Amino acid sequence: MSLRTRLRLFVVRELGHALRARWFLAYSAIFLVGGLLLIALGARDTMLIGYRGYARSLAGLVHFAVLFVPLMALFPATAAIAEERENGTLEYLLAQPVTRGEVFLGKWAGVALAVVLSITVGYLLAGGLAVLRGVPPRFVWISYAYLLLLALAFVSAGLAVSALAEPRAWAVTIGLLGWLALLALGSLGAMAAFVRWGVPSAALVGWSFVNPVEAFRIGLVALLDPDLGLLGPLGASLAARHGATRILWGTALSLLMWTAVPLALGASGLLRRRQGV
Amino acid sequence: MIHASGLAKAFAGHVVLDGLSLTVAAGERVALLGLNGTGKTTLFRCLLGQLPYEGELLIDGLDARRDGRRVRARVGYVPQRPPHFYGTLGDLAVFFGGLRGLDLQVVARRMDHLDLSLEDHAAKPVSALSGGMLQKTLLALATAAEVPLLLLDEPTANLDPRARREFVRALESVSTDTTVFLSSHRLEDIRAVADRLLLLHSGRLVFDGTIEELEATARAGSTLWVGLSDDALERAAQAFASDPRVVRVRRNGSRVGLEAASAELPGLLAELDDLGLEVLDLRTEAPSLERLLAGFVDEDAS
Repeated sequence: MSLRTRLRLFVVRELGHALRARWFLAYSAIFLVGGLLLIALGARDTMLIGYRGYARSLAGLVHFAVLFVPLMALFPATAAIAEERENGTLEYLLAQPVTRGEVFLGKWAGVALAVVLSITVGYLLAGGLAVLRGVPPRFVWISYAYLLLLALAFVSAGLAVSALAEPRAWAVTIGLLGWLALLALGSLGAMAAFVRWGVPSAALVGWSFVNPVEAFRIGLVALLDPDLGLLGPLGASLAARHGATRILWGTALSLLMWTAVPLALGASGLLRRRQGV
Repeated sequence: MIHASGLAKAFAGHVVLDGLSLTVAAGERVALLGLNGTGKTTLFRCLLGQLPYEGELLIDGLDARRDGRRVRARVGYVPQRPPHFYGTLGDLAVFFGGLRGLDLQVVARRMDHLDLSLEDHAAKPVSALSGGMLQKTLLALATAAEVPLLLLDEPTANLDPRARREFVRALESVSTDTTVFLSSHRLEDIRAVADRLLLLHSGRLVFDGTIEELEATARAGSTLWVGLSDDALERAAQAFASDPRVVRVRRNGSRVGLEAASAELPGLLAELDDLGLEVLDLRTEAPSLERLLAGFVDEDAS
């Protein structure tokens, strides 16, 4: 039996689990309602202040996504392997003709697909409406791709935590604390560091690219508002130094790294965890 | 089918398998007996390629460490405690059958063979199934692929007596070509399933033979409890105290207990009849694992 067939079995199993747990439907609904509300507000702003109204309302969507998408990804991902371990199913699974790496990859693919579908259902409906209201489709597609990159980054990070931590409650807690730390060390934290300790602005700019939450926020704002005026002085400095296109590619690359590196670390952690399961 | 030589495993300095060597031929039905913590589950996990170890361990000619996935494709496994699976019985059959490349019809046929109807129960949540039904399902999944080796890690430990009997009966339907390696605490299960018994103590093999040989070696056997009147009780105790077939004579209320190798029990019954004693009731009790092990542990101590 091929690796593809085994991975397909894991994906189908995880999708079934997501649907039964109902988080899939709940997240899709919240995403849809949130998206529709922001699009409606954007349309109203457009009537009042013209094209920039979209940027403002879609920037609202960025903030909404920064808060919501990581949670959507972290809850199922941090529980994924820790739950199997806690239920005794991981030991049984590892008695089947699969490798630990395949189990990790299969779980990742299943959880990632469930989260991606959940975002797609909610966002494309809201995005479709936005296009009908006059928002350029390019904005919708690129912001959709960014949302997926953010989600995949947190699925990978969550699954890596799940492979290494137990019990499940502890894995979920570590994931959420990590996300809160990244939020706290975002733009406000960077500003505080700049004011309080005089951290050089180059370091702050670098950190903005390394922190996935900030990378997502800056990338998407660069798409909507190339001079990054919405991000204040730091944004203006970034735009002047790098330009919107480089910022877009740089932040996308950062999110891709946040997908790939935890994936490798988590798989390697599960492979090394040979004394237990 | 299984060849272990100098197999050693320690957890944080605590030795669990201590240079274990054993061979199990294809088609054999072998039971692994031992107290808790003697290394039975660790040995099974080494066989499944789940744990690193020292020494040599070959399953069907494959090294469990290097060829873990290929080894597991040849091994069906039933754990001591059924895991808390999520989803329905149908999901379970599709996923775990699928991992072994099995068509759902093949799993369903195997389950039918064990008196489990997948068709009737496919939509049932696994959490709603009884422990016995779940263990039989895992047995069906383990054997549907017609694997050459079946590993059963105390599969009846958490079952009630009826479910245990059903599980043991289900085991009888396993192909005679399949090598069965069963670990258990229960001599009655072992007697029903295995032809050969391996006794594990402190990570080492202390006995390899049949149950009868074990009883003889350990000077411990089944106990025949005979209910007698008060005066008959005394006569019986005296008559059997010097009988070489009887390992121990015990008394409990109005019963006398005659401990002897299982094969000797019919002879003892005949002897009671010859003595002209009126037997009020009769029951047999299998020797406890602790009793069987006592001889070996004492030998170790000396």
